[in-house]
Amino acid sequence: MKDDRSSKLRIYTFAALIIFTFFVYTIYLFNLQIVKGLHYKKKAKEVTQREIVIPAQRGEIYDRNYNLPLVDNIESFAVYITPGEILSENRASIYNKISRLLDIKRNVIERKIPPKYRHLFQPIEIKSGVSYSKIAYLAEHIDEFPGVTWHNKPIRRYRVTSSLSHVLGYVGNITNEELQILYNKGYSPGTILGKSGIEKEYDKVLRGKDGKKYKIVDVKERKLQEKYVGEVDPVPGKNIVLTIDRNIQVLSEKALGPRIGSVIVLKPATGEVLAMVSYPWFDSNIFSQEGSEKLYKELSLNPASPFINRTIQSAYPPASTFKIMMTTAFLEENPNALTTTFTCDGELQYGDRIFHCWKKTGHGTLDLFGGLAQSCDVYFYNVGLQLGVERIVSYVRDFGLGRRTGIDLPGEVSGFVPTPEWKEKVHHMKWLGGDTINLSIGQGYINVTPIQMANVVSMIINEGTIYKPHILKEIRDPVSGKLISSEKPEVKHISHIKKSTFKLVQEAMRGVITKGTAHVVITTKAVESAGKTGTSETGTKDRYHSWFVAYAPYKTNKPEDRIVVVVMVEAANEWEWWAPKAANIILQGIFAHQDFKDAVKTLKPWYIRSIRGLN
Amino acid sequence: MKKVSFIGFDFLLFFAVLGLIIIGILFIYSSGVTSTGVVVSNEYIKQIIWAISGIVLFVLFSYISYERYKNWAVYIYFISILLLIVTPIIGKEVNGAKSWLGIADIGIQPSEFSKISVILFLAYYFYSVKKEIKKLSKFLIGFIIVLVPMALILLQPDTGTAIVYFPIFLFMAFIAGADLKHIMFLIFVALVAGILISFSAIKEYIITENSPLLNILSDPSVYKYFLISISIILLIAALGYFLFRRRYFYWITYSSLIAILAMFSNIAARHFMKNYQIMRLIIFLKPDIDPRGSGWNIIQSITAVGSGGFWGKGFLKGTQSHYRFLPQQSTDFIFSILSEEWGFLGCILIFALFLIILLRGVYISYKSRENYATLIGTGIVSMLFLHAIVNIGMSIGIMPITGLPLFFLSYGGSSLWTALIGVAILNNINMQRRLF
Repeated sequence: MKDDRSSKLRIYTFAALIIFTFFVYTIYLFNLQIVKGLHYKKKAKEVTQREIVIPAQRGEIYDRNYNLPLVDNIESFAVYITPGEILSENRASIYNKISRLLDIKRNVIERKIPPKYRHLFQPIEIKSGVSYSKIAYLAEHIDEFPGVTWHNKPIRRYRVTSSLSHVLGYVGNITNEELQILYNKGYSPGTILGKSGIEKEYDKVLRGKDGKKYKIVDVKERKLQEKYVGEVDPVPGKNIVLTIDRNIQVLSEKALGPRIGSVIVLKPATGEVLAMVSYPWFDSNIFSQEGSEKLYKELSLNPASPFINRTIQSAYPPASTFKIMMTTAFLEENPNALTTTFTCDGELQYGDRIFHCWKKTGHGTLDLFGGLAQSCDVYFYNVGLQLGVERIVSYVRDFGLGRRTGIDLPGEVSGFVPTPEWKEKVHHMKWLGGDTINLSIGQGYINVTPIQMANVVSMIINEGTIYKPHILKEIRDPVSGKLISSEKPEVKHISHIKKSTFKLVQEAMRGVITKGTAHVVITTKAVESAGKTGTSETGTKDRYHSWFVAYAPYKTNKPEDRIVVVVMVEAANEWEWWAPKAANIILQGIFAHQDFKDAVKTLKPWYIRSIRGLN
Repeated sequence: MKKVSFIGFDFLLFFAVLGLIIIGILFIYSSGVTSTGVVVSNEYIKQIIWAISGIVLFVLFSYISYERYKNWAVYIYFISILLLIVTPIIGKEVNGAKSWLGIADIGIQPSEFSKISVILFLAYYFYSVKKEIKKLSKFLIGFIIVLVPMALILLQPDTGTAIVYFPIFLFMAFIAGADLKHIMFLIFVALVAGILISFSAIKEYIITENSPLLNILSDPSVYKYFLISISIILLIAALGYFLFRRRYFYWITYSSLIAILAMFSNIAARHFMKNYQIMRLIIFLKPDIDPRGSGWNIIQSITAVGSGGFWGKGFLKGTQSHYRFLPQQSTDFIFSILSEEWGFLGCILIFALFLIILLRGVYISYKSRENYATLIGTGIVSMLFLHAIVNIGMSIGIMPITGLPLFFLSYGGSSLWTALIGVAILNNINMQRRLF
């Protein structure tokens, strides 16, 4: 057959096919190894390199005195076992030794390393929060502990806990949801990040930048070289100094005592928050303990909601504290306001409804200052009806109600200012004169947060200016302590109300203390103060929210030394009319430079018969 | 034996083979070295033993005159069929297939050796039918000769080895002078069947949304109607051809028969193909679908080859291989470790050695004294050629994973012996042609 031409052709074809195939393969290989060679070299490298994160030291947090950290980190280690590196005949003895050393049960180790993991070359965390001394022992006796390794895993320590927990917040492992949002910002799985409070708000400042190093591994994740490669040092996070004054914080906390409620002390001249207390609180340290999930769950189910920062995350009817805004509006709108009198006989009939004064027997005839000092409801019903709802709304908005104050803490709520349009739209009902009457004494639909009330008082003192309240004072270098940046007071709002009006309102608020409703409780001689009480009905009989907003000193040459105190005690507590009483102690403590115990001793208040810790 | 002398001993062929075997042993050694430099496998020693014994066999077979196979071929063929029948019954199971016969650690794979026996017998058959090969019936008998061992190997199951018989048959039939229409018919059936099988696989694993075209091509219920309508076309066309003898009736019959057979193969394949076999096809089409599972081998292999670059990472310095990312380095993926460590240059060397063997084989076949020798020679060349391109193609990602060894290089006695016997027969043909 090879003699005929067709079979010759077929053999040539066969040979050509072979050559052609190898030619194509050569081209393909050229493309793979030379054109795309670098790509695959990179890929081969990636396959064998494992990144190890060197955690950056998180910044410390100080109070404004900058002498003792409120939050720091304790050196602590996590111990890992790499099951694949332990021979089966040694397993029992190593587990026993580890369980003795780390003080954990053997079955805990067994549970963390089930038999199906025994061939793995991936380190499994056995215990975190291990002390340096135990790690030192491990390091000295490493020969006895094959397959056991450790990692620096500092624990966040909140040295001053109690009421600061809401301000400081806490840290925890990043969740999947958080990671999805933050992935592009350099966060990675296993990152520790701030979950609430300052820890969350200034996470970027505090966290620093994790370092990293690489190890070379084989397919079973076994480390192949002793040395790490490509080491990048971590950059420690910066230290934060808060505006909070630890002494005032503790004083306020003790003055409030175990009552559900909150206290804010701030400097109106700058917006610096000196104390921020919300009760009940939690211990920020629990989140770095074993079994924190369980504790967290328990706390979140607590009906008193200890995770809520009541100063910024709870809104209540402002009740009679609202009257200082009504007074301002009335003075501004009515040139004869000061001399306008109304007669209170205990109730006001409006249409077919009767609106009572809190004093059933009536106040008689009062002028504006008298009306505010006695907190006469009927007086302000009349003021409200004269002003009308639109003007009331526009004035309280000028004071910042219904808007977040913009404080540098996460989760602030805005409260609520009702309007006729809103009522029409949501309740499909007309705004009635009765609604205006209710609003006039801070009841009904209106809701404010304690921080907003602090701003209201600030605006009165600053005669129209509100500074944004803030907690951050300075950012400092973690090593040298050098000042990196400090917060400047930020004007949040400037009102067009006349300064003279504010001066009159200040005077009216002074009257509340000297001859009005607060006269009997504000007994401190340390400072002259001005303020306004508030008692709001909540529907429960004999239970009321108790408010007290105040500032001091009333007269001063140095307005920057003035402070605003807002105390809010919820109706959930036994009725004690506690808010002005707590404020009394706080004012005494701050201006006499006393702690709670000394303040109470000095005041010898009639309303405190026995307080734990005294005597 | 008197007629044979050393004069014709083909040293070019021999040294090319020897070169490949030595490189093979080097990389079998390399594959047994861990990252820490410890030799954990003694496969390379075993391979040296296989190689030495294989060379003895080579010399032996070089001096067995191929003409003897004319008488022996039929017996060799039936013995190998017999072995293939008993293998699944008494054989050892290795990697999920019962393809080994042997005692203790030492065993042989009859499916390897049966390639030679089929080549010898098919060559003898084509040689004896001479020009009659152009007849469809003679062509089909030849196909059946191949189909029997193929089916038996499929039952083991060793798809890769079984499928390689098919192109060997096609090449030999082509050289034997078979009608191109017949050869193309088989190629088309295989091609269409392959496309259909791929489509079902794609539909099942890769594409999630509905695509009407894919549905028609893969949905069994639609299939029925397709089969029926094409069968009707087939019948009418066949009838028309017998009555009127018109060309176009012939071609309609031809193509509808291709369609029907391809469809039947697809149905059969779906019944007989194991999940892992379908997955091999899938990951060939789209390795990323399961990068840590079935796609692992192919991804790691391509990475190994690609990262070798021009010069390679150096002998014993491959990371993909020594850190154990690359699987089955001494057998299926020997080419990958070689490409990683010796780079493009090493690959070219291997290609060159293979081309020397293959083209020398074609030359020897062409220059041989008689058609029988030509047919044996081209059969052996196509066997070596197919193994090379399928195995290398798999390593670089242009062929699906089949588990075919790379002759001369891959670890394993049976395949090495088979390859050496094959080349020895070529050598003998070469020696014979010098004798007058």
